[in-house]
Amino acid sequence: MIDVQELTKQYAGRTAVNNISFKVEPGEIVGFLGPNGAGKSTTMRILSGYMPATSGRVQVAGFDVFQQSIQVRQSVGYMPEMAPLYTDMKVNEYLRFRAELKGLSGHAMRRRVGEVMELTGVTDMRKRLIGNLSKGYRQRVALADALVHKPKLLILDEPTNGLDPVQIRHVRDLLRNLKSKHTVLLSTHILHEVEQTCDRVIMIHQGRLRANNTPQNLTRQLRSTTLLHLEIDGTGEVAEKLTAITGVRKTTEEKILVHPWRKFTLRVEPEHDVRDAVMELAMQQKWRIREMHRQLPTLEDVFVELSMNAGIPSDIPTHVL
Amino acid sequence: MRIFWILLKKELHSFFVSPVAYVVLALVMVLNGFAFRAALSVLESAPSEGSIVSWSFHAMWFWLSYFFIFPLLTMRLFAEEKKLGTLETLFTAPVRAWQVVGSKYLASVIVYCVLWLPSLFNFKFAHWISGGQVELPGGAMQGAYLILVVMGMFNLAVGCFASALTANQIVAAIISFTLSLMHFLLGIFIMVVGRKISDTLVDIVNYFAATEHIRIFTAGLIDSRPLIYYLSMSLLFLTFTHHVVEFRRWRP
Repeated sequence: MIDVQELTKQYAGRTAVNNISFKVEPGEIVGFLGPNGAGKSTTMRILSGYMPATSGRVQVAGFDVFQQSIQVRQSVGYMPEMAPLYTDMKVNEYLRFRAELKGLSGHAMRRRVGEVMELTGVTDMRKRLIGNLSKGYRQRVALADALVHKPKLLILDEPTNGLDPVQIRHVRDLLRNLKSKHTVLLSTHILHEVEQTCDRVIMIHQGRLRANNTPQNLTRQLRSTTLLHLEIDGTGEVAEKLTAITGVRKTTEEKILVHPWRKFTLRVEPEHDVRDAVMELAMQQKWRIREMHRQLPTLEDVFVELSMNAGIPSDIPTHVL
Repeated sequence: MRIFWILLKKELHSFFVSPVAYVVLALVMVLNGFAFRAALSVLESAPSEGSIVSWSFHAMWFWLSYFFIFPLLTMRLFAEEKKLGTLETLFTAPVRAWQVVGSKYLASVIVYCVLWLPSLFNFKFAHWISGGQVELPGGAMQGAYLILVVMGMFNLAVGCFASALTANQIVAAIISFTLSLMHFLLGIFIMVVGRKISDTLVDIVNYFAATEHIRIFTAGLIDSRPLIYYLSMSLLFLTFTHHVVEFRRWRP
């Protein structure tokens, strides 16, 4: 659906996007991540046919974005950052105008506009001036606009920016439902959303591609340790015995809970799963365990690590980051 | 072409939902009223060769309205879209730059033509109420409105261009006002220094001068040269506008 090869974009002496290549297959939902100013919006603008690339080749839905710009724009639903809209139009007027521009007409156009208003939850606002809508509703109108012509590819630049938690959940469900009909490329800063929604993550930093993998694989590759939280009823040198298990780097005793319960945090090398060994040790030592919980590094940790040039020392607990 | 009409409809809609069109219309009507009154008093005071049409368009009031119309009508066109960021949504829909430029321009031309309809009513009404004593020579009427439309087309194209240059409506208005004013001042320049410079230079400047065109056309003389001049200049400025819009998108 998207085929980007050696894409570079320079603005007056500054390189915004530096030689990136990636592909997106039909039906995928791909999260496009990176810190502010990483080149996400620039890449998305190039993909949607708004801007030309300085060099490289970009194909969307089989069309070249520069040579066949009109066909590309016909197959892409693009929602720009900040959701710019005509403030002097009413919601349904605006969506009808956009639907007509994108080739719909007559009864089919009206029906489709009704559908997308229903999908994005703006039906009650259809007679209101866009200028009087809240940020959340404007965002949804922009999303409705991106969807209106049933594009093969949706490019959404921070679609959940400025929404409240309920609306974010709504957009997430919407994107999941769209998956069967559309390919989606979205950028966001809410990494929790990406972990839940996206099949794949493309991460860029300072215009360069840093990662291109599933969220699960990315967190697995992270050099940071996984944590194991334990609550044990045991006396004596529990920490030392736990540290002796292969794969455990360090054990720290947290604050004492209600006697006789003690709380430990184990830092474990990522390739080891020590839960069975802990269990065996506990049985052998006649300890009682009432909680054992493994905390894997999140996408947020991956994001922070990749965004920092120096990387992160591996023994910093992930929840501190 | 279908896209063009959709865009045109939207542009006209924006003109008539915003107060701008109505404010300009009201001001133009007031100033036309003054110009008309001035023309009537000229005709009352002494016998005159000129008709009421030519005197109306010679009044200072006419030129006053002439200057503020163009910046007010055109400053919004591109500058506002740039400010709002909607140029990005517009150009990621399957539209071509010429469709956008053409529809915005044509919408402003249509609104401009609407502005002059009340003045037509003034003339007809004077003719009717005086029982035909206030004459409305056909040639003068046709000439006057023809030159108004083509001069308008030229100045609106200049305004379109100014609006495409900037994201600030005030700056766009100032640029188009300055260009229109300079064009007008060419005629004043000839009136002031006309006898001191060579005839060739006077002829050349008169070829461009708006005041001279108005004088000829309101007298009922329809000259093809100003028509060609204004229409070709409109096309030139629209081409510039198209290039500015395209250039911003395709800048490497």
